[in-house]
Amino acid sequence: MTTEPFLKPRLTGARFDSGAIPLEVLADFSVLAEMIVEVAKWKYREENPNRKRIPRGFMDGITLNLTGIETGSAIPVISIVVTTAAALFPSDQQTYFEDARQAIVEAVGAAEHNRKITDHLPQNLLGYFDRFGRNLMDGEAIELSYRNDRPPVRLTKETRRKLVLASSVEEFTEETSIHGLVHEFNQRAKTFELTRPDGTILRNIPVEAPHYDTVLEASNRFRQKACVRVSGVGRFDRNSRLHEIEKVEHVTILDPLDIEVRIDELKLLGTGWLDGKGVPPAHEGLDWLVDSFDEYFPDDIRLPFLFPTPDGNMLAEWSLKSWAPSLEIDLSTKRGIWHVLNLDTDEENQQDLDLTQLQDWQWLSSEIRTLGGEVE
Amino acid sequence: MTGTTLLLRQIHPTQVHNGFASSYNFRPTDTDAGLMSVYDGDMISAENAWKHRTNTLGKQSIGVVGLLVEECTAEGLSARPDPEPFPEHAVVDFNAVEQKAWRAKSKKLHAKAYVRGWLFQSPPTI
Repeated sequence: MTTEPFLKPRLTGARFDSGAIPLEVLADFSVLAEMIVEVAKWKYREENPNRKRIPRGFMDGITLNLTGIETGSAIPVISIVVTTAAALFPSDQQTYFEDARQAIVEAVGAAEHNRKITDHLPQNLLGYFDRFGRNLMDGEAIELSYRNDRPPVRLTKETRRKLVLASSVEEFTEETSIHGLVHEFNQRAKTFELTRPDGTILRNIPVEAPHYDTVLEASNRFRQKACVRVSGVGRFDRNSRLHEIEKVEHVTILDPLDIEVRIDELKLLGTGWLDGKGVPPAHEGLDWLVDSFDEYFPDDIRLPFLFPTPDGNMLAEWSLKSWAPSLEIDLSTKRGIWHVLNLDTDEENQQDLDLTQLQDWQWLSSEIRTLGGEVE
Repeated sequence: MTGTTLLLRQIHPTQVHNGFASSYNFRPTDTDAGLMSVYDGDMISAENAWKHRTNTLGKQSIGVVGLLVEECTAEGLSARPDPEPFPEHAVVDFNAVEQKAWRAKSKKLHAKAYVRGWLFQSPPTI
């Protein structure tokens, strides 16, 4: 038996910085192994057009195994293992596997550099990218290389989407996270329906036993607008429109003041939203605000009520017994005006904040905590 | 209009989050020339004010809250009828106080209206 390193994909992105690989990402490499085998078979047929079928035992004695993880970033080592006793012509087989590896890497490179993808892989085999790379998140990549003297190609959410769209599949799937209200839960069919913030409805979302109670509770609290976040595998059409949730992995009932949910509502505002006068807040600024609260605002402090202002900015307010604190947020300069008023004594305080700075967010949360704004 | 006249303030749907109405509702916007529009509660009910706002004027309102004239004057803000747009229209005048004080004034008015609660709310749409 021989074992040789075959492919060392380098995983980049925040989740892989520590050198660890989340278990769900390993599923992608299982798909990659399937794809390599099928591409190897295609390569065989290409080179042997007179053969009607793949020889029996084409795969015998040859496997792709995960044999280690190198450090530096997360680099799984995929090795080709050849059992000489089983394989009649191991070196020939191995060549097809190597050709398959090259074709896959070059297809990803073509997608990355906007070249013709089908010069490297046929449409039907590109369909494997519907599952390979599906667990990648924004900002993450799988870097692939088949030769040390060439720069690696990068499989990202964007390049993967191009690869899937170049395939013969009409739809593609992707890890996704959405939120909305559960307006119907069919316990017999074990499916539920979700109303999204823009009013669109997703039907027949499958739900498995671990999530029954959460979905049922969200359904019962529909009129209280109990919003849920649903994470799982979504099915998208060629225009990247989500039209189905194929598999649910997590369901969470959200804080009624969840920042992302509120911001998604406010992204729907158009010009003149305030009876003809309002400027809609810029989406880029709203995304920054979501990320900032996510990164800098502690979980044990109450979230604010959030409002758009007519000039396209935002106002955050808290309701804390005798205190009325607020933060006026300029989305373009990323600066804020903190103001707090004691409604009994008229004691007042105001402070300008630079909301790009961690210490200013720490100051903000410290003030709210002092005023009694800790989560009870 | 007397000190105990209830001034009816319409609340735009975007200015309510999870049942909490923003204090921003209780100050004029930059284009209001320092005058905050209200309905004179001696002349029209909260429900009819909402109907007028939404049906007659075609503007958005999720409901109506109220302030007494004397609650405004206690903050140095006068109120007066302004029947030009329509007979029940009135204004709370913020021009007598510096603009930098509007933030605090709006919070004080908000607190008064908050205690009084909704005088009328639009029927639920779902």
